[in-house]
Amino acid sequence: MAVMAASPTPLLLLDGQLTVLAVSASFCVTFQLDPLSVAGTDVFSLGQGEWDRPQLRALLQATSAGAGEVDAYEMDVVRPDQDLRNVLIQARRLDYLDLENIRVLVAVSDVTEARADARLKDEALAKHSVLLKEIRHRVANSLQIIASVLLQTARNTQSEESRAHLSDAHHRVMSVAGLERLLSASPPGDEEVRLHAYLRSLCASIGASMIADPKQITLTVSDGHDIVPARVSLSLGLIVTELVINALKHAFPDRRRGRVTVGYEGHGPNWILSVRDDGVGMPSDLAPTSAGLGTSIVESLAKQLRASVEIESTHAGTTVNVVHTQLALVVNATTGAADPAARPPWRSREAS
Amino acid sequence: MDPLDAPKSGKTLMIVEDEVLVAMTLRDVLEDAGYQVLDLTERHQDAVRVAQESRPALALVNIRLAGRDDGIELAEHLKALGVPVLFISGQVSRARTAQTVAIGSMPKPYSAPDMVVAVAYLLAWLDGDDSLPRPQGLEVFEAAGPSPAAAV
Repeated sequence: MAVMAASPTPLLLLDGQLTVLAVSASFCVTFQLDPLSVAGTDVFSLGQGEWDRPQLRALLQATSAGAGEVDAYEMDVVRPDQDLRNVLIQARRLDYLDLENIRVLVAVSDVTEARADARLKDEALAKHSVLLKEIRHRVANSLQIIASVLLQTARNTQSEESRAHLSDAHHRVMSVAGLERLLSASPPGDEEVRLHAYLRSLCASIGASMIADPKQITLTVSDGHDIVPARVSLSLGLIVTELVINALKHAFPDRRRGRVTVGYEGHGPNWILSVRDDGVGMPSDLAPTSAGLGTSIVESLAKQLRASVEIESTHAGTTVNVVHTQLALVVNATTGAADPAARPPWRSREAS
Repeated sequence: MDPLDAPKSGKTLMIVEDEVLVAMTLRDVLEDAGYQVLDLTERHQDAVRVAQESRPALALVNIRLAGRDDGIELAEHLKALGVPVLFISGQVSRARTAQTVAIGSMPKPYSAPDMVVAVAYLLAWLDGDDSLPRPQGLEVFEAAGPSPAAAV
C-alpha cells in the first residue's frame, strides 16, 4: 500500500466490484481529488462522475472478470470545474490465486501535454506546408515574369547576336523554371526529381522555340527512371540546356537533317549524362580561347558536380559525356567510359 | 497534323492574367503563331464582357486575378458561356480541384513557345482531333471532355 501511495504514476487499486481500495497521491493531485474521499468509493463515482463512462465501465468489468485486460484506453476526463485532461488507461487483474479477493490495478497516464504538443506539431507542419506552397507559387510567378521579360526583350532586339544571347538566357531561366514547376507539383518537402521527365520537358521547350521544322531535326531524351536530388537535377538541366542549344545551333548547318539525343544513366553513386548529335562535328581548328559563356557554364557546373566533361567529335557527329565516377569499379563495366585523360578537353563550337 | 501548322487556323483566344508583362509576351507570341488575341483583361467582369462579345475558342486564365478576383470562379462563368478554359497558374493543386470547369492546366512557370504548342493541341483536341502528341507540362482534364460549344 505504501508503494502504491508513493507511485509517481497515478494508480488505483480496485476490488472485484470496482471499489477503490487504495490510491496513489499522484492520482489525487493530478485529478484534484481529496485522498480521504477516494478510498471505499465506487470508481465510477469519483469526483463528479467524470470516470463514469460506459466503455471504461465495460473494460474494467471485463478485466475484473478475467475476460481481458485494458492495454491503452484513451479518454478525456471532463469535469466542469477543471481543465480537460487526456488520459491513457491501463488495467490488469492481479492474480493471487484468491478468487474471493479480486484485485484490479489501474494505471492512468496523463497525456494532455503530449497530445497538445502533438497537435501543435501537426499544426506547425500544416502551416509550414501552406507557406512552402505559397513560396513555390511566388517563385513560379517571379520566374514567369523574368522569362517573359527576357523573351519580350529578345523579340524587340534588332541585333541578331544580341537576340541569340537573350534567347539563350531565356532558355537558361526556363531550365530552372521547369524544375521549379516539377517540384511544385510534388508533395511539399519532396526534393527528389524524376530526371528523365524533367529533361524531356526541358528539351520539348527548347525544341519548341529552336527547331523550326521537327521533321528536319529531332530532339529526344532516352528512356529511364532515375530519381535525382533537386540540386543535382538543376545543374544537369542547365548543362543539358547548354549542350542542346550548342548542338542545335552548330551541328546542322545548311538545313542539314539530324538527330540530337540526350541520355542519363545512373549506377549507384556513378552517373553519366550524354548529349549526342549526328551533325557535322566540331571544327578541329577551334582555338581554346574561343570558349564562350555556354562552355564556362558546362565546365563550372560539371566541376561543382565533381564530374568530368569528355568530348568526342568526328565527321559523324559529336558526343559530349559528363561523367561522375565515385566508385571506379562500377563505371567501366556499365558505361564503357574510357580514361578521361585520353579525350580532348570539352569546348563549345560557339564562335565567340 | 503538325503542331506548328495548327495555329494557322486563326482562331480567337483570350488571356486573363494579372501580371501584365506575362500577358503581353503571351499575347505577342500567340499572335505571331497566327491566333487573334482579344483585349487583355485581368478581372472577372471585364473578362466576361469580352467573352460575351467575342466568344473566343479558348480562354487562358490565371487563377489569381486583379482585385482579389478568382480565376476558378471566372472559369465557371466562362464555361456557362460555352468558352473552354485553360488554367495558366502556378497554383497547380487549386487548378486540379477545378477539373470540371476547365479543360486543362499549363502551370507556371511555362515557356511561351510551349504555350503555343499547348494551345494548338487543345484546340485540335476540342475539334475531336487527338492526333497531336500531348505537350510536356500540359495537364488535360479529360473529365471535362471536348466541349461542343468550342466548335462555334
